[in-house]
Amino acid sequence: MKKNIFAKIFVILLAVAFVAGFSTAAVAKKIRIGGIMDTTGATSDVGKDYAIGMADAFKYINSQGGVNGKKIRYVWFDYGYRIPEAITKYKMQKRLGSVAIMGWGTGDTEALSPTVNKDKIPYVSASYSAHLTDPKKTPYNLFFSSDYSTNARSAITAWFDKKWPKHKDFGKRKPRFACCYMFASPYCSAPIKAIKDQAKLLGFEIGPDQDVSLFALDTKSQIMALKKFKPDLLWHGNTTMSVAATVRDAYALGLGTDWIVNNWGFDENLPRLAGKAAEGVMGATPCAFFGQDYKNMDLVVSSAEKYSPGVPIGKRLIRTVQAWGDALVLWEAMKRADKAGVDLTKKGCGPGIMKKGFETMRNFDIGLGAAPISYTATDHRPATGCLIQEWKGGKFQPVEAVDLKKRWPQKWAKEWLGW
Amino acid sequence: MKKKLVLMIVLIFGLSIALASCVTTAPVKPTDKNFTAPKVTLESFEIPQYDGYWYFSKKVKPTKGEAGDRGAILPMSFVFNVENRNPYPILLNGITFTVVFDKEFSLVTYNNQDEYWIPAGKTDQVRATTLITARSALLSLLVTGGFKLKAKGWSPWKALETWWKGVPEGTTPVDITECSFSFSADGVQKAYPYELKVQ
Repeated sequence: MKKNIFAKIFVILLAVAFVAGFSTAAVAKKIRIGGIMDTTGATSDVGKDYAIGMADAFKYINSQGGVNGKKIRYVWFDYGYRIPEAITKYKMQKRLGSVAIMGWGTGDTEALSPTVNKDKIPYVSASYSAHLTDPKKTPYNLFFSSDYSTNARSAITAWFDKKWPKHKDFGKRKPRFACCYMFASPYCSAPIKAIKDQAKLLGFEIGPDQDVSLFALDTKSQIMALKKFKPDLLWHGNTTMSVAATVRDAYALGLGTDWIVNNWGFDENLPRLAGKAAEGVMGATPCAFFGQDYKNMDLVVSSAEKYSPGVPIGKRLIRTVQAWGDALVLWEAMKRADKAGVDLTKKGCGPGIMKKGFETMRNFDIGLGAAPISYTATDHRPATGCLIQEWKGGKFQPVEAVDLKKRWPQKWAKEWLGW
Repeated sequence: MKKKLVLMIVLIFGLSIALASCVTTAPVKPTDKNFTAPKVTLESFEIPQYDGYWYFSKKVKPTKGEAGDRGAILPMSFVFNVENRNPYPILLNGITFTVVFDKEFSLVTYNNQDEYWIPAGKTDQVRATTLITARSALLSLLVTGGFKLKAKGWSPWKALETWWKGVPEGTTPVDITECSFSFSADGVQKAYPYELKVQ
């Protein structure tokens, strides 16, 4: 009698197993990744394209089998560039079980950093603040690009190498340098200490900083103040719209200076908005512009066409390429961690992704015109320099690829990490 | 007894296969070529909650709570009809669009990755709700539409007030641009662009 009952139970279980095995209900668990983006806030001029590009990248990654056959569930939210909202969105992503998060701005990434590092969730941001590159302080903050301080040091060095020797006053006096940026913005102010340090190193005379809001449409008062100092070179640390406004006003008021711009202020929209005034403007380009002829760019462009057909290709920007840069390094880290036996579908796998993924990368090539990427347990600066390009004759052209580590190896190794 | 048991196993196995094949096999297999773009139309547009137009800077002390730069909310709800013109069910798994006021000012980009199965030949309705505030709109407007405002001689404050009053009343033109709906069916992934005039 007992045997009979067991046999019946066995038969029923067998039937359930057959149905479950053949049905679509037997779905493999996905790897959850979160996104916190700005598509409506103070940096939406560059944030929207980045957010759409990131979604495209994860769709492409899934079309290639995800992470060694495990699909990714990427869910992102707009936080409007508001730090309190970024914190609530982060907590939600954590509750949803995200094992890694794609973040955005410097203010929120730096504000979240202590929490992220306590939670041990890899946080791959679009903030390239050098404050996030020292694993002793921020072991779970990452990005694919050269950091803002490296961008700034590279930009001023490139100008000093290539433009200053052609100046009529070369050899007669020190070149004069000043900075325009929004003082209150953590993104804008992040590399200022580094660029002034580099200016001193190269022998510049440094003039007064000018406070230019990210929303500025009229910067005439700042340009008039700069006229007294007569700068040869100005750094602009804002995003594209206010950079365009400043460059336009400087051109209209005959300031006669050269410009170097941080990466978030230097894109395909700058010449559209600044017109003639954009001629000769130089900027940090940690990756290629959208559609430029580099390895893997075909994937970026075809995915933009395939997954976001509502946005005309002509409107896509370098921001999409930057999003891909961050997505590709996370993908590679997860593939390596997965192969090493880390279960990416489980909460708490962050240390595995970091140690067996990111920190095993040495000169990893993502293409897209980006420098080879390395992360070690003691140094999260992904790249040792940056390509500086200028807008000239209707197109972006390389000026110089500066490698700070090669040029100043001691300072790179011992002085410049983390700021 | 043994014979009965074997018979039961064979019967249940056969039934399982038959049942499973009913669950997973569609009469027509989705392919890249036979996938027809679903038809998307706008069923309705509404402001689910209206709070007028107002703005307080952080210099103003509130009666309760903390001071800050804050403005009136403007939620917008769009109901879409999504008609599946394919002979197999499709999964709607992504909606992205930008809401534009007065033909050229992008105010919010909406994104949703919820999943909805739409049966073969059927029309489903999907609601997308966006929420902006006069503060968020101001910031977005200044960085994305600042030069256009300047060219028109409009102040951002005047534009916001006009829109906050005009959108609920139906006098401000509202459009949906840069719109994509993403679908999948049995491994085939497709996204289609749509442009929709709201009012």
